[in-house]
Amino acid sequence: MAYEAVKVKKPLTLILLPIISVLTFFLVWELIVEFDVVPKTMLAAPTQVGDRFIDKLSDPNPDGGTMAAHAWVSAQEAFLGYLLSLGIGLPLGLFMGWFSVVRGVARPLFELVRPIPPIAWIPLTIFWFGIGLWGKVFIIFLGGVVPCVINSFVGVRMTNPTLIQMSRTCGASDWQIFTHLCVPSALPMVFGALQIALACCWTNLVGAELLAADQGLGYMITMGRRLALPELVVLGMVSVGLAGALIGMVIETVERRLLSGIRR
Amino acid sequence: MAEKVEAIQGLKSQDRSIADEVQQAVREKKPLTIRRIITNEYFLNIVSMIAFLLVWHYAAASGAFSGALCTPWQVVEQFRNLMTDTLAGLTIWGHIWASTQRIFIGFVLASLVAIPLGLFMALNPYVDAIVKPVFDIFKPMPPIAWISIAILWFGIGEPSKIFIIVIGTFVPCLLNAYNGIRLIDPEMYDVIKVLGGRRRNEIIQVSFPASFPAIFAGLQISLSSAWTCVLAAELVASRSGLGFIIVQGMKISDTSMVIGGMIIIAIVAWLTSLLVMGLEKLLCPWKRGIGDL
Repeated sequence: MAYEAVKVKKPLTLILLPIISVLTFFLVWELIVEFDVVPKTMLAAPTQVGDRFIDKLSDPNPDGGTMAAHAWVSAQEAFLGYLLSLGIGLPLGLFMGWFSVVRGVARPLFELVRPIPPIAWIPLTIFWFGIGLWGKVFIIFLGGVVPCVINSFVGVRMTNPTLIQMSRTCGASDWQIFTHLCVPSALPMVFGALQIALACCWTNLVGAELLAADQGLGYMITMGRRLALPELVVLGMVSVGLAGALIGMVIETVERRLLSGIRR
Repeated sequence: MAEKVEAIQGLKSQDRSIADEVQQAVREKKPLTIRRIITNEYFLNIVSMIAFLLVWHYAAASGAFSGALCTPWQVVEQFRNLMTDTLAGLTIWGHIWASTQRIFIGFVLASLVAIPLGLFMALNPYVDAIVKPVFDIFKPMPPIAWISIAILWFGIGEPSKIFIIVIGTFVPCLLNAYNGIRLIDPEMYDVIKVLGGRRRNEIIQVSFPASFPAIFAGLQISLSSAWTCVLAAELVASRSGLGFIIVQGMKISDTSMVIGGMIIIAIVAWLTSLLVMGLEKLLCPWKRGIGDL
């Protein structure tokens, strides 16, 4: 390393400022609602959101499901869609990177699907799968598969050509080069894809549930709007955000563990 | 320098080594076999497209989807109808314009605020300490989750759609501007210091230009996020735009309209991303992407 890490002590203001700013944010939010700067039908105070959360833990009213039920449905959809997109996207991208035949066949189809936002598939999905679990899984899959393919494809294409030539010289077959050289050297990009795909899946989960659902966190948000209960909307948004951040953190830790031996 | 280049070129034309000749011979010798034609990438591209259209056509014609899928030809005919007929008082061009206009307004608004803010945050630790924690609260929320609150706040008119696009584009714009500056190679600053520059020079001559590629990468991400947002907003509630075409197709169970709408969206989204790419080439010509790998 060219630069040695130098520990600089942070000034006290820099430690305090973030805490102050978050506190001010919540305080202003609370006060805005408290003093009716905006109508109560448009925004709920943080304390109301907290109350609603405690209610929702046990009470399925007014939207027909407890917090746990909604979260479980959403998690199921997101997990299935995510796994599907990894299971199909990563191998496809890796193969497309190395084998020109796969690239020739799959590329035009992929380029056809890529620019269409997954949300645009919702009407077709409703025609095909109805509004059940698999329709949403399909949309989430479409959202996650694109970054998976792109990242693993680029990862393979970025393999050091010198190493490929050396393997050829030493008599490695195409398949051996692929499994022993290209795939390992694409791993950092593949793990990047895990994160990006997760974010895409999570966004599309909300999109899919906004339009076609009868349970799930996104559905809770929609019901909050229909019933004009802003605290329900905000609660849904916060729980989606929190869950997304948590899963992201888990993946990041796993990634760091697994890749600790690979230089990036 | 020029002499050196000449010397190398001279070497190439006159003193070719035997190895070069052998290599050339091998290259020229490859015969044009059927196997080579079949495994040619462009040939395979065409084959896969035709196969895709054929499978689509027969899947639709066989009735396996029981009317939930139309043939490619019906989509083409639908295109012709959309070109001439009006839908909710607007022609197809009107709907395309409605969507792109929303995207354009939201995109410009968000990038005008987010990019300077991101740069500021990366350059000034105090701004960073104040804005970052609040930004981190909003960051993980999917922009689509904001649709409901946008409708509660602004109704179902234009402002709510633009608000969602702003939200969706804000996060990637800011993040990339921020990381673009933070990930600059510190050796570049050393050059300025060695040349006797001040912090102002560092910021103007290193930070800004070096963060350009990252900012443009952020703009590309924002753009695709903006398309997702505008579609979601139009699907939920609207009377115009490309999302409206799809919803209309869904309501009257006309798959050719839905698929036609999706294809138009793909084309327009692709064109807008080309626009941003062109802008990037214009503004930072030194950047070489991994696109040509």
